[in-house]
Amino acid sequence: MPSQPPLPPLLAPYVSSLPQSSLTVLSSVLGATGNWLILRFLYAALNAPSNSETEFGLNQSDGVKDKKVVFVSFLRGWEFWRSEAKRLGLDLARLTDKRQFAFIDGLSELFDNPTTAAAPSQPSFPGTAPPRTVLPVRSPPGPVPGRTPHLLSRPGNVSTNPASKEIGPVKRLHLSGNGTAALDALERDIATVMKQLKTPTPGEAEEPELVLIIDQPDLLLAATGPSKGIGATEMGEWVMGLQQNAYATIMTLSADSPLIHNASAIAHQPATPLETEHAAFAIGSAHRAQMVMQLRSLETGAARDVSGVLRVGKGGAWGQKDAGTEGNWEEKEVLYFVQRDGGVRVFGRGE
Amino acid sequence: MAPANLSHRQTHNLLLISKLLNLRDTASPLTLLLDSLEQPATPLIKEYIRRAKISKVHVTLIAFETLKPLDGVDAFIPARRKSPSQIAKEVGVAYQNIKTNSPSSRRLILIDSINPLLRSRTNDAHSQLSTFLSSFLIPLSPSAPKVEVSLVVTFHQDVPSPPAQSPYSPSPHSILTYLATTIIRLHSFSHILAQKAARDRSLAAPVFGLEEEQDGILLGRLDKPIGKESAEGIVLEMEHRRKSGRGVLEWYILPPASRYSPQHVKEVVTLLDDHPLYRPPEEPETEAGEEEPESTFELRLTDRQKREREGVVLPYFDAQQGDGPGEGGRILYDMGEEDDFDEEEDEI
Repeated sequence: MPSQPPLPPLLAPYVSSLPQSSLTVLSSVLGATGNWLILRFLYAALNAPSNSETEFGLNQSDGVKDKKVVFVSFLRGWEFWRSEAKRLGLDLARLTDKRQFAFIDGLSELFDNPTTAAAPSQPSFPGTAPPRTVLPVRSPPGPVPGRTPHLLSRPGNVSTNPASKEIGPVKRLHLSGNGTAALDALERDIATVMKQLKTPTPGEAEEPELVLIIDQPDLLLAATGPSKGIGATEMGEWVMGLQQNAYATIMTLSADSPLIHNASAIAHQPATPLETEHAAFAIGSAHRAQMVMQLRSLETGAARDVSGVLRVGKGGAWGQKDAGTEGNWEEKEVLYFVQRDGGVRVFGRGE
Repeated sequence: MAPANLSHRQTHNLLLISKLLNLRDTASPLTLLLDSLEQPATPLIKEYIRRAKISKVHVTLIAFETLKPLDGVDAFIPARRKSPSQIAKEVGVAYQNIKTNSPSSRRLILIDSINPLLRSRTNDAHSQLSTFLSSFLIPLSPSAPKVEVSLVVTFHQDVPSPPAQSPYSPSPHSILTYLATTIIRLHSFSHILAQKAARDRSLAAPVFGLEEEQDGILLGRLDKPIGKESAEGIVLEMEHRRKSGRGVLEWYILPPASRYSPQHVKEVVTLLDDHPLYRPPEEPETEAGEEEPESTFELRLTDRQKREREGVVLPYFDAQQGDGPGEGGRILYDMGEEDDFDEEEDEI
């Protein structure tokens, strides 16, 4: 199979022009994960003309502003995203040095509290507690030699864990305390990184467009839950707070059946708190989103040349602003196939 | 339905919806919009704002989930991390500031989504729901000038409601539907059409989106599911409770905003029953009555022919008179002027 362009043409209009102060929700299921799509969003934002590589700047008009990306991931570490992005030709480490990109690790030390203030929270979540469980990385390279660990310096309780195997230009989040106070602390940490990235460097004329990608914040909800004072409303408000700092926000969520449908009124058994909170968070987010991209597996079963179905639909907030500012895109349902080399083919049914 | 009855319903219910949407005479102090991901309330909220702007009504938006103020909103109050009493206070202040320079005595308060408040953990909003909502409708002080306030609250039906605090307390959805003076349920027109088409063929009506209960599907709506351009618009299922307590139920359709100009004053909402796609115009019937076979010959009778045919006394009536064998049974026929008398055949 021939190698695919990094950005499939069918997909390009959806990932490259995000309207201002919009929320894009990307829902995925276990059988059809959204990592490839996040990478496409990263590529569309970061491989823009600021790279001044003319071969990519073909259809980019001169008026396009610089884009910067802050990427908060709650499910995967830095090494995973770095190596996956490399397959697309995107050097995240270099972009971090150029202050175009910042990665925030919400997984490795989320419950590892250096201040030991909230020690009781640690033993109750053995699955997510450190030492971190490294998710499968296809080609695990060591720390890049010669690259100094460029930690985004923040005064306060930032402390690099020397035992951590992975050192990258990464800020790590720590969750401490309960309820909104804990979320506020996380929000502050992320907002600081965003502000640092947003301040124009001497070479830049104006404030760049800052895209915020939040990967699977539902982990936070699942790991804390109502007993810790964090529910769907608090999570929604947390995301809204982060949105205020960003030009556009992309958020990925799980939409597997048990997490969404067990809590609905039609279900025959009482739902668990996790199910109701997750469903409320996911559906509420879709109501707030301009665009909802839904990934799912084929209804007819597995196929050799199809990985899943992507449906792009208009979310509840679509149409709030006048037409034109939100872009003119159509709702669509397409199939996609992730190849062995990481390339993705996107095509309509029967094509 | 009889035509006279229908036209009466049309005029009456169209007046009602126009009164409700234009916020005239505070026809409905508390309107509840029940929406879902399949048909969000955004177009209807924009329509409310548009009409409020035309009639110079002061618009306040209490934003639980909207980040940026919508066009045409006079006061935008973000409700993130605020307690109900705080919000109520801010709403009051927002109007006091504006009152001095523009004496508009009508006010529209929109709540973009009540769900976050109902699920909130920090404030015990669930129990104060009715207090919270009525705090907007009741003037702060009795001496304050009278303001006609209409409150429009959006409730997402598909967001699961929080577990009940006590097994005996009603769900927030029940409280809201109990309090509301008007309930508008929103449906997507294309879905209504698909469901009607299925019903007309006695099939089970299709479901969309979350109701499909399919793995990974949140949204089922696609722009053009049937490929029909004209199947746009949203269907409003309205339930209005009058002061007398009598309820009025009606289905309407609101065309998409691109079909009319923002300054359009005439009513754009029509009855769903009047929409050509929902109820196609019936074939004009020539004769009301039994069906007649189609042919190239003219088989029908004119009125005069019918009358004359009925005037014919059939032979067996004549035969029953009993004039004796051989008598009677003749065909008695009064000749008309167009009848052609034939000496050889006819006899009188």
